[in-house]
Amino acid sequence: MLKIKDLKAGIEDNQILNEINLEVNAGEVHAIMGPNGSGKSTLAAVIAGKDEYEVVGGSIDFEGEDLLELSPEERAHKGVFLSFQYPVEIPGISVSNFIKTSITELRKATGMKPIPTKDLLKMMRDKMKLLNIKNGYLSRNMNEGFSGGEKKRNEIFQMAMLDPKLSILDETDSGLDIDALRIVANGVNKLKSKNNATIVITHYQRLLDYIIPDFVHVLYDGKIIKSGGKELAHELDERGYDWITKEANKK
Amino acid sequence: MSLIENLKSYSEGINVSSDKKKLLTSFFEKGFPTIQDEEWKYTSLKKLISEDYSIGKNGSILSDLDISNHSLGFENKIVFSDGKLISTPKIKGITFSDFSDFECSTADTFLQLNSALANNGFTIKVDSNTIVDEVIEILFFTNTENSFNQYRNQIIIGDNAEIKFVEKIQNLSNSTSFVNHFTQIDCGKNTNVEYNKIQNNTENSKLIDTMNIFQKEDSTCNINTLIFGGSFTRNNLNFEQNGSNCESNMNGVSILDKNQLADNHTFVDHKQPHCTSNEMYKGVYLGNSKGVFNGKIMVRQDAQKIDAFQSNNNLLLSENSTIDSKPQLEIYADDVKCSHGCTIGQLDEDALFYMRSRGIGITEAKAVLTYAFASEAIENISILEVKLLAQKLLAKKLNVDLDFSV
Repeated sequence: MLKIKDLKAGIEDNQILNEINLEVNAGEVHAIMGPNGSGKSTLAAVIAGKDEYEVVGGSIDFEGEDLLELSPEERAHKGVFLSFQYPVEIPGISVSNFIKTSITELRKATGMKPIPTKDLLKMMRDKMKLLNIKNGYLSRNMNEGFSGGEKKRNEIFQMAMLDPKLSILDETDSGLDIDALRIVANGVNKLKSKNNATIVITHYQRLLDYIIPDFVHVLYDGKIIKSGGKELAHELDERGYDWITKEANKK
Repeated sequence: MSLIENLKSYSEGINVSSDKKKLLTSFFEKGFPTIQDEEWKYTSLKKLISEDYSIGKNGSILSDLDISNHSLGFENKIVFSDGKLISTPKIKGITFSDFSDFECSTADTFLQLNSALANNGFTIKVDSNTIVDEVIEILFFTNTENSFNQYRNQIIIGDNAEIKFVEKIQNLSNSTSFVNHFTQIDCGKNTNVEYNKIQNNTENSKLIDTMNIFQKEDSTCNINTLIFGGSFTRNNLNFEQNGSNCESNMNGVSILDKNQLADNHTFVDHKQPHCTSNEMYKGVYLGNSKGVFNGKIMVRQDAQKIDAFQSNNNLLLSENSTIDSKPQLEIYADDVKCSHGCTIGQLDEDALFYMRSRGIGITEAKAVLTYAFASEAIENISILEVKLLAQKLLAKKLNVDLDFSV
């Protein structure tokens, strides 16, 4: 589904990603872990198409298409979804209006008929149940005055509504208490299928107790320095990152 | 010919009272204001007054289709065609009548001109204790090409009455038209009034709209001004609070493109204690458009415990658009709360990326954020039809097929 080859990217003159290689197939869950400043969020932003990052080398192929050639909205139309580490507050637009606009535009771009507002609202209510979201939420302004946990839940709610092929969860666990974490993880697990894939970006192993990864990658200094199975996450939790970075530096 | 020459030749052919003659003589002596005039510093009248206008002519007869095409669909309509009042509704407790002259002393050139020569307009008298549920729609149609029209309207609202209006000035051709509009509202004690102005005229239409509102104690008056169309719009909105516990609310939304200009001058005169004023003007500027905002708040010495709030927020969405914004606070009382804020900015890049990452195209994302920016003022409008129209016109102006009403 996603093939990242020798990806180099940065901001202005500051190169942050140095030759990232990653392949994600349908049905898989990949975790990307790493210390602060290792480039985790940059990788997420580059996949989603944030234009302040400049790609200076390498390629990203998504289902046979050159993702780097596409605008952020076109990437979304192809099925790429980024759950933001810091979701943006948009005063003046209700959650329902935002989601309706998003779904309408997505369907328009992919040649599907618009969903009647009534059906869309029903769909929203169903997905709200999945994430234990209370009534009244749809008419609130997008992320405005939301707690950290509510914002993250709102991201997963959008993911549930948009039904993407590839979801990138950027630090979705930060700012969540244990109950919220469980609800969010449960939501992600329920949305998982053999046709979609998830990249979970996280600092801590905690989230991976709930969303079990097939692969764990350690990102350090803009490179994936180690990959392994879910047990790697446990090892990182016990031993920290130092031993791997030392190992990498030796090489 | 220029407007002043048009006015000279028109006034020579009619009889006016000696008082009006005096006004005219002084008007012809001093002429129209220039940008040297503080009140017109950012808005040049040069082009507007250099054009040739026809005055006092009637065009073809208005069709029912013209009316229904431009109406918001309210049943109770006051309709004007080229100055002539052609229909009024019948509502219990309200008297509708044609133009009747009333005094208004003023130093303003356009008001003086209006006082001297206007002979069209309406008079509405609302009986005390009349609560009107229906919205009254007032439509002014211009049917003659290149016409100059002046309306002089008065609304007198009896104590404890409640009423809502929607006003539209509509040019039926693409030719130029210029309306010098004046409305006075006298709000009785404990009244509640809402007046909505939909300024969405054709591309070559010009408007100078002055509204003077006099409020008695315990009255609330809401004026909403929505500017989408017309090449030149100047609004002078003046409130005078003559009793305690008055509330004056203003909401303005301007969405301009091409070479449009819109100038909102507001003035709230707090003369009595325990009153409030609330002012929220939002401007969105595209193309080569230009906005002007001048908000004056006067708090007189006896007007203690005043709570006055003013905000003017502007979005400049193009390289060549401009806004001149000037808050003006004059406070002579010592126990008051006055705040004002003015912002000028662009759309938030992070929010744009957020929306695009959700599949919303860049044009649509910009439109949604622009709507979000303006919505605070639009939400204050109590009439659903007006709110929906504002949403529709905003989408149209920003070239998107989006429905903001969910």
